[in-house]
Amino acid sequence: MPMERLKEPMGSRIDRTERVSFRFEGQQYSGYRGDTIASALYANGVTTLSRSFKYHRPRGVLSMCGQDSNAMVQIGAKPNRLADRILIEADLNVMGQNYWGSLEKDRLAMLRHLGRFMPVGFYYKAFYKPRWMWPLWAKLIRRVAGLGVVSLDTPHGYYDKEYLFTDVTVIGAGPAGLAAALEAADAGAEVLLVDENAELGGALAYARFDGAGEAAEKTRADLIAKVEAHARIRVMTDATCTGWYADNWLPLIKDNRLYKLRAGALVVASGCYEQPLIFHNNDLPGIMLGSAAQRLIKLYGIKPGNRAVVAAANQDGYGVALDLLDAGVEVACVVDVRADPPEEDMSAALMRRHVPILAGATLREAVPSAGGRGVRAIKIARLESETKSAARYDSFACDLIAMSGSYVPAAALLHQAGGRVSFAADNGSFSVHDLPEQLSAAGSVAGTNTLENVLSEGAAAGRRAAGEAGFTVSDDSAASAAPEEAPGAWPIIAHAKGKDFVDFDEDLQIHDIENALSEGYQHIQLLKRFTTNGMGPSQGRHATLPAIRLAARRTGAGLDETGSTTSRPPIGPLTMAHLAGRSFEPVRYTAMHYRHVELCAKMMPAGAWMRPEYYGDARSRADNITAEAKNVRENVGMIDVSTLGGLEVRGPDAAEFLNRMYTFAYLKQPVGRARYVLMTDDAGVIVDDGVACRLADDHFYVTATTSGVDGVYRTMLWYNVQWRLKVDITHVSASYAGVNIAGPNSREVVEKLCDDVDLSPEAFPYMGARRGHVAGIPALFLRVGFVGELGYELHVPASQGEALWDALMEAGKDADIRPFGVEAQRLLRLEKGHIIISQDTDGLSTPHEADMAWAISRKKPYYVGMRSVAIQEAGGLKRKMVGFELANDAASTPKECHLVIRGSTITGRVTSIVRSPTLGKVIGLAYVAPDQAELGTVIEIKTDSGQMVRAEVVKLPFYDPDGARQEM
Amino acid sequence: MTILPQDHSRRSFLYRELESAGAEFEDVNGAAVAMRLGGDAAAEAAQARSLGLCDLSGLPRTGFKGWNMATWLTGQGAEMVTESNIVTPQSDGTRIARLAPGEALLLGDDHGASALIENTDAAWSMETSDGCFQVPRAETNFWLTLSGTHTPALFAKICAVDLRPEAAPPHRVVQTNVARLNAIIIRRDIAEVPVFDLLSDVASAVYLWRALLDAMEEFDGKPIGLTALRTLR
Repeated sequence: MPMERLKEPMGSRIDRTERVSFRFEGQQYSGYRGDTIASALYANGVTTLSRSFKYHRPRGVLSMCGQDSNAMVQIGAKPNRLADRILIEADLNVMGQNYWGSLEKDRLAMLRHLGRFMPVGFYYKAFYKPRWMWPLWAKLIRRVAGLGVVSLDTPHGYYDKEYLFTDVTVIGAGPAGLAAALEAADAGAEVLLVDENAELGGALAYARFDGAGEAAEKTRADLIAKVEAHARIRVMTDATCTGWYADNWLPLIKDNRLYKLRAGALVVASGCYEQPLIFHNNDLPGIMLGSAAQRLIKLYGIKPGNRAVVAAANQDGYGVALDLLDAGVEVACVVDVRADPPEEDMSAALMRRHVPILAGATLREAVPSAGGRGVRAIKIARLESETKSAARYDSFACDLIAMSGSYVPAAALLHQAGGRVSFAADNGSFSVHDLPEQLSAAGSVAGTNTLENVLSEGAAAGRRAAGEAGFTVSDDSAASAAPEEAPGAWPIIAHAKGKDFVDFDEDLQIHDIENALSEGYQHIQLLKRFTTNGMGPSQGRHATLPAIRLAARRTGAGLDETGSTTSRPPIGPLTMAHLAGRSFEPVRYTAMHYRHVELCAKMMPAGAWMRPEYYGDARSRADNITAEAKNVRENVGMIDVSTLGGLEVRGPDAAEFLNRMYTFAYLKQPVGRARYVLMTDDAGVIVDDGVACRLADDHFYVTATTSGVDGVYRTMLWYNVQWRLKVDITHVSASYAGVNIAGPNSREVVEKLCDDVDLSPEAFPYMGARRGHVAGIPALFLRVGFVGELGYELHVPASQGEALWDALMEAGKDADIRPFGVEAQRLLRLEKGHIIISQDTDGLSTPHEADMAWAISRKKPYYVGMRSVAIQEAGGLKRKMVGFELANDAASTPKECHLVIRGSTITGRVTSIVRSPTLGKVIGLAYVAPDQAELGTVIEIKTDSGQMVRAEVVKLPFYDPDGARQEM
Repeated sequence: MTILPQDHSRRSFLYRELESAGAEFEDVNGAAVAMRLGGDAAAEAAQARSLGLCDLSGLPRTGFKGWNMATWLTGQGAEMVTESNIVTPQSDGTRIARLAPGEALLLGDDHGASALIENTDAAWSMETSDGCFQVPRAETNFWLTLSGTHTPALFAKICAVDLRPEAAPPHRVVQTNVARLNAIIIRRDIAEVPVFDLLSDVASAVYLWRALLDAMEEFDGKPIGLTALRTLR
C-alpha cells in the first residue's frame, strides 16, 4: 500500500495528477509521474533494491542520486541501471540483480556465514588445487559472478554524435555553477551550462542552508530565473560530462547522443559526494546519506522513516535533522563526531526544537530489524580518538539513520586534468591544486561549503573563465571569503564483529583492508588492486578515501604522501552504443554501378569501392564466371575498371620523376606508348604496379592498383618534397570512369563508336595510347593486355561513364557483348601468368622472387629501392614464384595460401589458383624454394583435409605464350 | 523544359537519388540539373531558408595547381588573395577559392554561367602550362549546397570543425573531414541565410547524400532544387 506523500511544496519532482504503474520483481506497484524507480518503491514500503556482491546482503537507498550501486537493477534487456535515477514509465519491468531465487529470498544469502572462508583476495589463493576441481569451480563461479544479464536479443537503437564549441563551459548547475555561468555570460562569453539532473539548482533543490529553511529555494529561484533569461547561456540538463581530455575536450552524454565539446575555458562546479560512516551493519536498508533523506523529502515528498538518528560532522547534519522534523520524522538525537561543535544557525534552531545533540560521539553498531531488511536501533559510543571509542554503548531505537557532513569532492574531471586534492589530516576539509590553465574549480568541489562563499567563488571562477576565453573582465579576484567551517573527519574504528563496510560494491570491511595492508599491499595502487576496493560500479566514490586513511594510518605517511588511485574516464556508466554512435562507412560507386545492379551483378567490396564479382544467379556462381571468361576468350566482354588508380604526372621533370619512382626506364619512352610500372619501397619490396602512358614529353597518365593508389600518391608527394623536381602530381582516380573491352571482337565494337582514332593494329599497336572520342565522349584509349586478349581500356570523364557503358553495350549487341566481373578477370589474367599485387606479392616480395626482374632497368642511376634490390640479387633468392599445374586426376584442388611442403619443411605457398576453362586444367602461381623452380619439378601442396596434392612447375604464361592474341 | 538525365551524356552521380525524390531536371551548363523537387514552390523556397540540400554537380567548376598557378591565373584576369582558405568573388560571379599557395578552385554561379571558367579552361594546355596544371574538378568532386538556418547545427553532427557564424565567416574555406570523407566546405551566405558549398569525392556522392539526409532529419531538412536555392536573394 503506497504511503501518503508529504504535502507540497515537498515533492518538487513529482506530478501528483498522474499515477504510473510498473512492475518490480514480478509485482505491480505505482508511483507518480516524476518518481524514480527507487522513490516509487520506497513510497510503497519496498526498501530492498539489490543484494550485495559477495555476501548477498540486502541493500537499499544510500545516495538516492545514482552515486552508489545499491540501486542497480535490471530493466528489461538492460542490466545495471540505476533505480534512483531512472524515472518510472508505464509497463516498466524491473528486476533485482545478483540473487538466486528471488530478491527477497536469495538462496545465496547463506554466503554471509562463510565470510571467514572468503577473506580479501581469497580468489588469488583458492580454486587452483586440485586441478581437476577447476572446471567445477569455474561453473559455480560463472553462475554466481557478475551483475545483471546481457540479452543477446537487445534491440538496436539510433545513437549519434555532435560537435559543440563554447567559449565557457560550466559543469554543474548548483549555486557555484549558476553563479559562474552568469558572470561569464555577462562578460560576453557564450556559455554552456551542463548538469546531470533534470532541473537546475544542485543542492539548492534539496539541502538546507539556514535555520528557517528558506535560503535555498529563494537563492535557487533567483539564479535560475537569471540563467533562463540570459541570451548567452545554453542549458543542457540530464547531461553527464563523462571525462576530461586535453585542451578542454569534453564528452557529454545526453539521451542517445554523445556531444564532443571543445570549451575555450572550463569551470568545474560538480559538487561533492557525501560519505557514509563506517560502523557495524552500516549497509542495512534504512541507513542512508543525509542528502538522500533530504532528496526523498524535498524531491519526492516521501517521509523517509518514523524515528531517526542523524550522524553529523558539520552544520549540514543539523540541516538534515531540521528537514526530518519538518517532514514529521521524530529525531531521536544528532550524533556529532566533533567534540566541541560550534553553535550556529542550524544547530541553534535544532536545539530550540529540543533534539538532543551528542557531541564527541560516533555510531558503532546498527541493530537490524526482524528479517534483516531494515534497522531498529543504533548503538552509539563516545569517541576517545579517531581510532578508538569507549567500550560502553548507548542504544537508541530508530528506523532511519542519516549520515551527513563528511564529503569527498566529485573531482574526477579535475584529476583527469592533472589536478590534485589534498585532505587535511585532522578534519574533513580538503583543497584542490595544480589545475591547468583554462580550468577552474568552484563550490563544494573546491572545498567551499558556506552558501555565501560558494556564490562568490562561482562568480569569480566565471569571470576568470571568461577572461581566459578572451573576453574583457572587470576584476577576477575573489572577494574576501567568510570563514569556512572545517567539518570533522569520520572516525574509522573497526568493530569486533566486522560487517563494518568500507566498500559497499565489493563487500569489503575494515579488516579486509587491514589484512591486505598486513600482507604488504601498502601502496595505494596495490591495495586497490589486491582488495578491489574502489573498483566496483560506484568507482570508489565512498570507498577510496577511507582506504587512503587506513593506509596512511598503517604506514605513518601523510594523506598526500599516501596519494590516491587514478581517476580515468568514463565517469559513470557509458554504453557501447554511445561510443559507437552512428557509424559512417563510406562506400564508393563507379559511374556504372547501377548498370551492374540492373544486370544482376553480385557486388563485392574492393576497399571502399563496390565492384561486380560476377553477373547472374548466385547458385550458378562458378558457371557464370566460366561463361564470362569464355566469352572474353572467344567473343567480346566488358569490365568496369573505373576503380583503378589514376595519376596525372605533368611538368618538365615528369619523365625523370617516373624514372626515380619506378624500376623500369621512362626517359626515352615514346609519346603515345604505354609502359609497365613496378614500384618498390626503400627495402626493395614490391608495393604497386600499373601502366604509364606518355601523352606528351612532359605529361604521363599513370595507373595504379585500386587499393594502392592512395599510398602511391602520398609516396610520390613525399619524395618530391625532397627532390623538388619540376613536376605536378594530381590524383585523378575518381575523375575518370573506365572500361576494359576485351576479346577478339572488341575492335569491331569500338570502331562503331569511334571515328577519330585509327584502331588498326598497324596504327594503334599493343601498348599504344591514343586520345579521341567514343560515342562523342572524349576518351583516352590504352591497348593493354591484362586478360591476354585484344582489348582497349577506355578512360572517360566520370560524369560520362554511364553513357559510355550504355553506348558500348548497345554497339556490342550484335556481337552479343557480355559484361564480366572481377572473378572472371582474375581467372583470365592468371591464365596469362600476370600477378596481382597483394595477392601474389606480400610484405616481403622482391622483384626477383616474383619473377619480375625483367621490369628492372639496369642502366639508370637510381630508383627507389634500387640499392636494396641489388643487395637481394647479390644475396641470392630464398624463394621464387613459379607457375604450376595439377594433374587432372588430382583428388582435390588446393586453395590460395595452401602450403608447399617438402618432407617436413614448408618451402612456399600457393598465391593464386583456378580451374582454367580455356586450358581444361588447374593452374596457379606459388612461391617455392629456388631449387624447386626448375621447369618440370614436381612440388607437393597440402590441402584443407591434410591430403598432399602433386603439381608440376611449368613455363609462364599458361595461355598464348607468344602474346599473339593480345597483340592482334 | 524538363529533361531526363539519361538523355544526357553528362550525368550527376546523384540523379537517381533526385529522381526518387521527385526531381524535375533542366539543362544547365550542358548537364541535367534538378531544378524542382516536384512539390510546392513556396514550400521549397521556405525549405531553402530552413534546411535544404541542393545538387550543383552539373554546374561549372574547375581547378588549377602548380608552382606558377597564381601567376597564370591572374594572367587570365582572375583576382586572388595570397592567403589560403579564402574565397575571392570575381566580377562575373565566379568564386575563386584559394586552397593552397599553389592551388585554386573556381566555382561558377548558381545560373551555370562563368566566363572565367570557360576562358581559363579553353586557354589552358599542356604546351602553354608553364608550371600551372588543370585539375578536373568538374569530374573529381560532386558539388552540393546546404542552405538554411539549421545548416551550422547540421554540420555539427558530421564535421569536427567549428562552422558557427562567428568561427567560419563567409568566404572562408574549410578543408576537413565530413562523415569520414575528405571535403571542401565554403561558406557563402546569401541574404543572411547561411549557405555552405560542400565538395568531395564524386564516387562517394550517394553515400554522403544519404548520410546528409539522415543527419538533416532532425531538423526536417529536405532536398531542394536549384530554383529554390536561387530564391535566396
